[in-house]
Amino acid sequence: MDIQGFAIQGFVAVVIGIIAFAVLAPVVGCLLAGVDRVLSARMQGRVGPPLLQPYYDVRKLFEKEGVTVNGVQDAYVICALIFAIIAGGIFFSGGNLLMCVFVITLSSLFFIIAAYSSRSPYAELGAARETLQVMSYEPMVLLFSVAFYMATAALLPFGGWGTFDVSAVFALDAPVIVCIWPVFLGLMFILTIKLRKSPFDLSMSHHAHQEIVRGMTTEMSGSTLGLVEILHWCENVLFLGWIGLFFVWGGPVTLIVGVVAALAAYFLEILIDNNFARVKWQFMLKSAWAVALVAGGINLAVLAFL
Amino acid sequence: MEMLLFLMAFPALIAVLVYVIRNDAARNVLVVAGAAVTAAASIALACMHLGTGLVLFECSSAVADAACTVVSCICVIVIVAFAVRHANALAGVLALVQIVVVLYVEFAFAHDMEVSHGLYVDSLTIMMVLIIGIIGSGICVYALGYMKDFQAHEPEGAKDRRPLFFALMFIFLSAMYVIVFSNNMAWMFTGWEVTTLCSFLLIGYTRTEEAIRNAFRQIVMNLAGGIGFILALLLCATQVGTFSLHEFIEIGIANPALVLLAVVCLAFAGITKAAQMPFQTWLLGAMVAPTPTSALLHSSTMVKAGVFLLVKLAPCFLVSPVPSVMVMLVGSITFLLCSFMAISQTNAKRVLAYSTIANLGLITACAGVGTPEAVWAATFLILFHAIAKSLLFLCVGTAEHHIGSRDIEDMDLLFERMPRLARFMMLGIMGMFIAPFGMLVAKWATLVSFVQMDQVALIIILAFGSAATFMFWAKWMGKLAGIAGDPENVERDVTSSEWASILLMAILLVAACVLLPVISATMVEPYVISVFGMAGQDIAADNLWIGSVCVCVVVIALFCGLGRSKKRTVGVYLSGVSRDDATRAFQNSLSDESLATARNWYMEDVFGEKRMAPVGVVFNSVLMAAAALLALCGVALV
Repeated sequence: MDIQGFAIQGFVAVVIGIIAFAVLAPVVGCLLAGVDRVLSARMQGRVGPPLLQPYYDVRKLFEKEGVTVNGVQDAYVICALIFAIIAGGIFFSGGNLLMCVFVITLSSLFFIIAAYSSRSPYAELGAARETLQVMSYEPMVLLFSVAFYMATAALLPFGGWGTFDVSAVFALDAPVIVCIWPVFLGLMFILTIKLRKSPFDLSMSHHAHQEIVRGMTTEMSGSTLGLVEILHWCENVLFLGWIGLFFVWGGPVTLIVGVVAALAAYFLEILIDNNFARVKWQFMLKSAWAVALVAGGINLAVLAFL
Repeated sequence: MEMLLFLMAFPALIAVLVYVIRNDAARNVLVVAGAAVTAAASIALACMHLGTGLVLFECSSAVADAACTVVSCICVIVIVAFAVRHANALAGVLALVQIVVVLYVEFAFAHDMEVSHGLYVDSLTIMMVLIIGIIGSGICVYALGYMKDFQAHEPEGAKDRRPLFFALMFIFLSAMYVIVFSNNMAWMFTGWEVTTLCSFLLIGYTRTEEAIRNAFRQIVMNLAGGIGFILALLLCATQVGTFSLHEFIEIGIANPALVLLAVVCLAFAGITKAAQMPFQTWLLGAMVAPTPTSALLHSSTMVKAGVFLLVKLAPCFLVSPVPSVMVMLVGSITFLLCSFMAISQTNAKRVLAYSTIANLGLITACAGVGTPEAVWAATFLILFHAIAKSLLFLCVGTAEHHIGSRDIEDMDLLFERMPRLARFMMLGIMGMFIAPFGMLVAKWATLVSFVQMDQVALIIILAFGSAATFMFWAKWMGKLAGIAGDPENVERDVTSSEWASILLMAILLVAACVLLPVISATMVEPYVISVFGMAGQDIAADNLWIGSVCVCVVVIALFCGLGRSKKRTVGVYLSGVSRDDATRAFQNSLSDESLATARNWYMEDVFGEKRMAPVGVVFNSVLMAAAALLALCGVALV
């Protein structure tokens, strides 16, 4: 097949992936959120809500009266959701990992702008902190993509060039974790920031009784808040997909390993969420960058020069 | 070839006319017509040579050589005159040193160094021509409206120097064409010097003490760069034996040791012109000039001449480690530190300046890597940076005249006060740093090229620099996006010449992003293939098209989606009874009125200039000194 044919094929695959992700990710994400609620309750010695509670919550949000502080916030939130879904579609259709990383950053930007647009002092503060959170985790995310490329270069049977294509994992002789486990640990560290879990829930938290009220979502209500919830479900699925990516190789059967690993990581995140108090931004920035520099830098250097 | 000569001569002609004819109405007509013809001729030239490899034109003339020497002399005389008037010894001495070397090269060697093919066109030149011709001319048109406002803001009885201003702008365009068309490096050097002088005069336009001081800082640094260039010419004459740029590059690929010192000298010239650390201060100082000057210097001319030369030399860097490492590290350190410093700036123009320097750093680093992929990335960085940055400068200039400040903290609520302008500004900002816009695609390609060369240090620098880039752009966008109450719309009296240029840049930005795969196939890849004989292993076409679709989504959302919602509108929550939403006033516990205020984060103590700048200045200076020393040793060994 000629190059143009490949281009069209890749494009169609991504479109199908986006549609599939738009349908499936909210379902999976909703269940994950339900598991989070149940597990957190058990860790705190409570019974907790039913598994489908997040679904009931969001359904109720969509039934509420539409109220907003300005005419543009909804549009920004919808953009954020669209691009999160595109990013997920690119990833799960086996597309380009870097593209996925960039598009999910675009989604974060729209969410930040949505919060800024409200001009609520609390939302603005939350948005400023979210910007800082993005700056904190972004280096590690980029280094993760590069490390993936280098790992495929080392592990692909035909050798030579690596690839950013996620679909290449099925051709690997061994999962990429074997040569980039330091990067995996680094990614685990910043995953807590990306999921906005304690101790890094600076920009917003599930609890509205704190110093910045509910941070970024202070002025979002009704269906807008419902969309934000769905956005987070999609993000969670995508990020756990990144974790799973480390453990897949050879053929589709190994996807099970990836899913198990992702769920284990999710459990760990819930455990951390319930056991740590929030830190200050200085610590977040310094620690996240230090982790990226040490874990990412050393790992890349080893891959490049050894 | 007639077209080339026309493009080099025509803007200069317009400059003379604008300078001589001092009538406002006539000037408006002249500038618009001149800009339109220049742009049309540039596009025509591009169409004639679309997708071309290297085409050399037979052109050599003793008259032209003599004219170049005369122009160089005039430049020096003007600089020396200013240096004497303002008692700046350093500028005067540097200018004199330069002219001595110029005359020595001219009379001792030049007649033996005939370049039969004085002019050339290739795909990189075509792209530069389009940038100069369309963006540069667009800025000249914008300046009409802006300078009218500017003159109105001047104190009563102030001298109207606008004829000089517009003349300089057009000479600038001519000089840029000379730089990108000349295969004869002596001619190129003349264009190089003219741009230095023009920007000196433009920076000093207001003749305030600060403007003069900054103009001299610019001239001192760029004269140093010019001396680097003329020394390279001297080395070409004594060692390499040619003044032809393309022969020089061929010899450089075949025999790196022979041209080592000349390449280092040229790289030094490029680095000074591209305002890389430790020379970043001249571009920051240039901010005192009227905004169209900044737009011109930053986007389509001056600094782009520096990176153009570096990208041209990329094949030499690929085979020659000393200049390659020097250029790569200088560029990447500049990118990192200037991105950090941009976080700490509240002045919009300074943020733009730091972002320009940072992006030039990235282009410089790509040129230093020198692989086909890196050159692909560098070329796209040049293109998208030119478009997005000119759009931003024009927006900031207009905002400054209407809200009376260039401080980002004063741009609160701009989305309501200047709704159209704020949308354009947001588009420009997004064009600078976020996927799927072209600038980020180019950064992506940069990352890929670094990865393929196993440049771990550069990858890490790029990762952290990009994170900082996100921070300073996102918080600026957030400031613009705020909406509260119904503030007065202050953009109704923006002049039509300003709107026309802003709209032009915005359309260019969107078109270039959507058509990125096409531009790659018709302009950038032909250049890469003509230089390296092969195309790079670039980003796959399907990803580029996904990016194009995403651009459309963003643009539609920004300009069509952000309307009024049908939902009931309520005030924001202020932990008390809200009194006035527009000012965020609320009733406090003593029943008085309190205002909620919020400022962006600038993190001066973490990313301040005082902490960052010295690191880069010292590191890069030592680096360049070491490179020069190594090159000298290399020459001694040869």
